[in-house]
Amino acid sequence: MTGYMVRRFIQLMFVLFGLTVLLFLLLKAMPGDPAKVMAGIGARIETIEAIRVKLGLDRPWPVQYWRLLSGIFNGQLQAMTYHKSVWTVILERLPATIELGAFALALALIISIPAGLLSAIFRNSPLDYAVTTAALMGISIPVFWFALMLMMVFGVALRILPVSGRGVSVVIPYLGRWSFLTWDGIRHLVIPAVALSSVQMAMNARLTRASMLEVLRQEYVNTARAKGLRERVVLVKHAFRNALAPVVTNIGLQVGALFAGAVLTETTTAWPGIGRLMVEAINRRDQSVVFGLALFMAACYMISYLVVDVLYAYIDPRITYD
Amino acid sequence: MTEETLKMQPRDMALTVLCPGLGHIARGWWSKGALFMGLLAVQAATVGLAVSKHRFAWLAGPSKYWISTTLMFILLAGIWVWAFLHLRHAIRMSTENSTVCTYWQMAMQRFSHDLKGIVGLLIILTVLQVALFAPFFVRSDPLKMDLVNFLAPPSVEHPLGQDNFGRDVLDRLIYGARVALGIGAMATLLNMVFGGFLGLLGGYFRGITDSVIMRLLEIINAVPFLVLALLVISMWGSSVVSLMLVLGIFGLGPARIIRSEVLSVRETDYVLSARAIGVPTRRIIMRYVLPNAIASLLVVTTMSIGVNIIVVAGLSFLGFGVRPPIPSWGAMLQQAQEFMRTAWWMAVYPGLCIIFTVFGFNILGDSLRDVLDPRLR
Repeated sequence: MTGYMVRRFIQLMFVLFGLTVLLFLLLKAMPGDPAKVMAGIGARIETIEAIRVKLGLDRPWPVQYWRLLSGIFNGQLQAMTYHKSVWTVILERLPATIELGAFALALALIISIPAGLLSAIFRNSPLDYAVTTAALMGISIPVFWFALMLMMVFGVALRILPVSGRGVSVVIPYLGRWSFLTWDGIRHLVIPAVALSSVQMAMNARLTRASMLEVLRQEYVNTARAKGLRERVVLVKHAFRNALAPVVTNIGLQVGALFAGAVLTETTTAWPGIGRLMVEAINRRDQSVVFGLALFMAACYMISYLVVDVLYAYIDPRITYD
Repeated sequence: MTEETLKMQPRDMALTVLCPGLGHIARGWWSKGALFMGLLAVQAATVGLAVSKHRFAWLAGPSKYWISTTLMFILLAGIWVWAFLHLRHAIRMSTENSTVCTYWQMAMQRFSHDLKGIVGLLIILTVLQVALFAPFFVRSDPLKMDLVNFLAPPSVEHPLGQDNFGRDVLDRLIYGARVALGIGAMATLLNMVFGGFLGLLGGYFRGITDSVIMRLLEIINAVPFLVLALLVISMWGSSVVSLMLVLGIFGLGPARIIRSEVLSVRETDYVLSARAIGVPTRRIIMRYVLPNAIASLLVVTTMSIGVNIIVVAGLSFLGFGVRPPIPSWGAMLQQAQEFMRTAWWMAVYPGLCIIFTVFGFNILGDSLRDVLDPRLR
């Protein structure tokens, strides 16, 4: 197991390194000069040049690449347009995204797992058709449109929930600059979380249903029924647990989808998380923040992927690596 | 009549798809074939009349548009449904009377009994029809502004309301179908070519080729696709062509699926024996490996058209996709966001169009998977 993990970790590092090269080349090929954006319209050439020198954009590409890479790892890299270090910018925005992602995922699991299980148990019943159709609908709905509809119905028309923004959040002094959720924040959270969870919900329900159907076909379920166990015991003790393993491990793979959904949902509902930061930074041509943030998202995704692989071996003893 | 003459040959089926009735004539059933072709001619003539310059000039008032458009739509849809029913009939004829069925004949027969897939196909054909015949469905230029009536709510004249420049929302939605389907289909085609090629190479040659390709895929997959697309588009500038290229080149999802399919096919005995008697690699791939991978390729293609349509809409919504004057569903939603409080009709309908289209592709893909892979039933 240890050998496997070490191998996977080296592989992860290799992929992240490849990604830094790819990202750097993409950023360098981006049109628009960050210095010009910072200097503003009608700035003198000397001013633009001065900013270029200050940001190090006049240096050769390998030097710039090294500055970005080393800056990410020692935390010294300054954002070009935010007057803070890149990590400060990202960490300030991160709690909002974690709140949103965690709520969305929790909501998705609470609804989708029972729905998927019931739909598999009562296969080909009206309930099953309702769940599968709803799930197919769910993967067809664009999250940003769903968020917009929720905002219009609950925010504008009914005035039950705040339309957009994050509301009041609390900064606890000893925990750095992280800000935390309040009651007002929870009310603001409802719309983006429901919108973001719609796709996860649909995907999880489909997966749970497929996995449960697969388990119900197994011989040991037949055996359990044949030896006279009550149907409830067969379903709960024998089928349910085994069906859940792939569902649980699939959660880790949804981190990437959550980030992508967060970009759209956060932009629509003005939620100040890292998804919105990404769009902002691309618009402001802030190469340092884009570089750091893309790398951060990739690292999160790959680490959760690795954790899931390891977890899988614990959940299912039949699987061994090496 | 012997059993052999009752059976519809593949050639006749193809002719039936080409033109209803042609297959019957080729089989020698003249009267039936002439009847079908005659009906088609009547239908085509009516459609031609409907879309001609003076269409329904004898009708007056605002109901003119409604009646003519609905009639036209029903007639056009009729042709599709009819062609489909004929195809289904031909499939049943060809399989029910024969003792041996090929894989594709069996798949076609299963598909003809699958309501889900048929509904999906009809949805897609409906959208396709609207996209193809867009100029006939709109009443005016979708770019024509009417600044006096900006943000006017739905009325008889403008059934889905007018946007912030007074442009008709319905007309823009109709032209938006062209953008959505066009970009979605082109991008998916490129996906299949690039991704399929990489997957084929990796799966068949394995070793160093495979590791290089897989690492490349891992690097590209590590970043959420939307973020990568945002970055590349901000680099290339947003246009319809760059959208197609970005989605086509970087959406390498099919590669993995093709690779795993190829890996399992290449271990089979018939590939081994082909290699043993010295069949060249290119021929093995074309004759044995590719046809076996086609089924899963078909499912992935259908599903990824839907995904690509959503991604294009998302990019346009963020302002990185189709540029505003071109009517596209995503860009319409972006505009609608500003007028959320006053003009609900600007936001609701483009979203419904996206859902309708993507839902069609998703249920068709779902049904194709059931049909093409009987193990999963």
